[in-house]
Amino acid sequence: MTEPRATILVVEDDPDIRRFVAAALRAEGHQVAESADARRGGIDAGTHKPDLAIVDLGLPDFDGLELIRRIRAWSTMPILVLSARSLERAKIDALDAGADDYVTKPFGVGELLARVRVALRHRARTAGGGSVVRMGAAEVDLARRVATREGRPVHLTPIEFRLLECLARHAGLVVTHRALLTEVWGPTHASDTHYLRIYLKQLRDKLEDDPVRPRHLLTETGVGYRLVPDE
Amino acid sequence: MDARRPWIGYASAAALAGACTVAGLAMRPRFDIVNIAMVYLLAVVVVALKFSRGAAVACAALCVAAFDFVFVPPQGTFTVADVQYLLTFSIMLAVALVVSHLLARGREESEARAAAALEAETERVRSTLLASISHDLRTPLAVLTGASSTLAEEGARLPAAEREALARSIYGQARELSEQVDKVLQMTRLESGAIALERDWASLAEIAGTVLRRLSDRLATHRVLVEVPADLPLVRVDAALVDQALANLLDNAARHTPPGTLVRVRARVEGDGIAVSVEDFGGGLDARDLERVFAKFQRGGHEAPGSGMGLGLAICRAIVRLHGGRAWAEAVPGGGIAFRFTLPVEPPPRAPAEDEAA
Repeated sequence: MTEPRATILVVEDDPDIRRFVAAALRAEGHQVAESADARRGGIDAGTHKPDLAIVDLGLPDFDGLELIRRIRAWSTMPILVLSARSLERAKIDALDAGADDYVTKPFGVGELLARVRVALRHRARTAGGGSVVRMGAAEVDLARRVATREGRPVHLTPIEFRLLECLARHAGLVVTHRALLTEVWGPTHASDTHYLRIYLKQLRDKLEDDPVRPRHLLTETGVGYRLVPDE
Repeated sequence: MDARRPWIGYASAAALAGACTVAGLAMRPRFDIVNIAMVYLLAVVVVALKFSRGAAVACAALCVAAFDFVFVPPQGTFTVADVQYLLTFSIMLAVALVVSHLLARGREESEARAAAALEAETERVRSTLLASISHDLRTPLAVLTGASSTLAEEGARLPAAEREALARSIYGQARELSEQVDKVLQMTRLESGAIALERDWASLAEIAGTVLRRLSDRLATHRVLVEVPADLPLVRVDAALVDQALANLLDNAARHTPPGTLVRVRARVEGDGIAVSVEDFGGGLDARDLERVFAKFQRGGHEAPGSGMGLGLAICRAIVRLHGGRAWAEAVPGGGIAFRFTLPVEPPPRAPAEDEAA
């Protein structure tokens, strides 16, 4: 599958990390704008109008989080966050501030490019796109509210549909617990994580080939869930 | 002995001297005065045992005064008619001094012994740590330095395949190194108490699925069997940490058992908790080593270098303990090890209501 070339803004203060990230993106055929701090990043985001921004969370001048909020104030461009390991809280805050996904340092460039591809595709799809989600032997038509597995109909409850819809809208990207709970059950249930545990299990039991080792409805421990459909 | 509140010792001394006087008055009709002195002596010993030397001497002085005033004729005065009572007084003071002196010396000695033992243990850990670091961190660092400098200086003259192989070994070693450094940092955080649990409802089936997916490359050489019942209750844990604990057990099994052998992951309700186990069939260990492997920088039996720094199981145990659970290993009949841990189960949360028939 060939991906369209895109303009990508990389906001990262460490020159070595910036170098290999930019090199890998250019090797993929993308145009890269590089900023070493958040202030510069904010300006570059305005002038270059990139298709995607990659933002390091630990920037020297002001926080990467603040930059994400500022970009979100005027743009829907996908934002990928680079964050240090084991800082689930920081990842969640970044996602809640408007980031679309994260890559944990240290990361291999393959992982980064995969995330970039998903985020760019997400942007291309937001305009419209199919409502059918394919997950191995299962297929869910969100518009017609029909689910099948190996050709046979599968009954999904209204809440299961809504949950799947919310995940599918961000196909390939992580969605935080809070975002899912707020959207499906409403803001008063924003911290009832156990609802998600129960419903994701139901969805996996109905749709995954091996519910204990799911391949499509993935858990991002401590952060949220990610729906990875078949292409 | 409570060093922070010395007044308690003196207060107790006064209270005991008073109590002895009351007891002495009750004994008076039937007991000889010398036996009443014994009761005071007992109070002095008790205070010397429990409190500071000052309190013991104070108690002895108070007891002597009370004994003299109330019981020694002429009563109601501090005058001593019979010289033999001076001996009684001296003995009470001497007992107070001797007992508190002996105790103080005993305490100092045992503190010194404990300090020496701690120092020896710290020294042992430090030297094992250094040996371990020099082996497990220096090897990847040597590869990183060598391979990357080869690429930087000779890259243009090397065939493309060779360049890629060098780059891949840099990648592999860097990841291994990063994993080891993470473990050292994690162990340090766990030991310093710097980790606050972020408990939330989690599903062990979900955690197991995530771990197996993340470790799928490493476990590709083994046959992995997962047995998690569908109705396993949710647990209120820090999922990211329990994920690590389980991942360390699986990583351990992958590193230390021969390719092709079975690794079985099980979770089930046991008593008032959930028991999780990772069983391998890779030969097992001596009974003595089954406990030893949980210590830091310990590897089981006769491990080859490069099999990790021996922190994984120590981290697993620290995480499980933080959750109020227990982690241990036992032999599996037929030559293998079952690494087990338990997590307490809390009353389940209120489930969301939805009419399934809707």
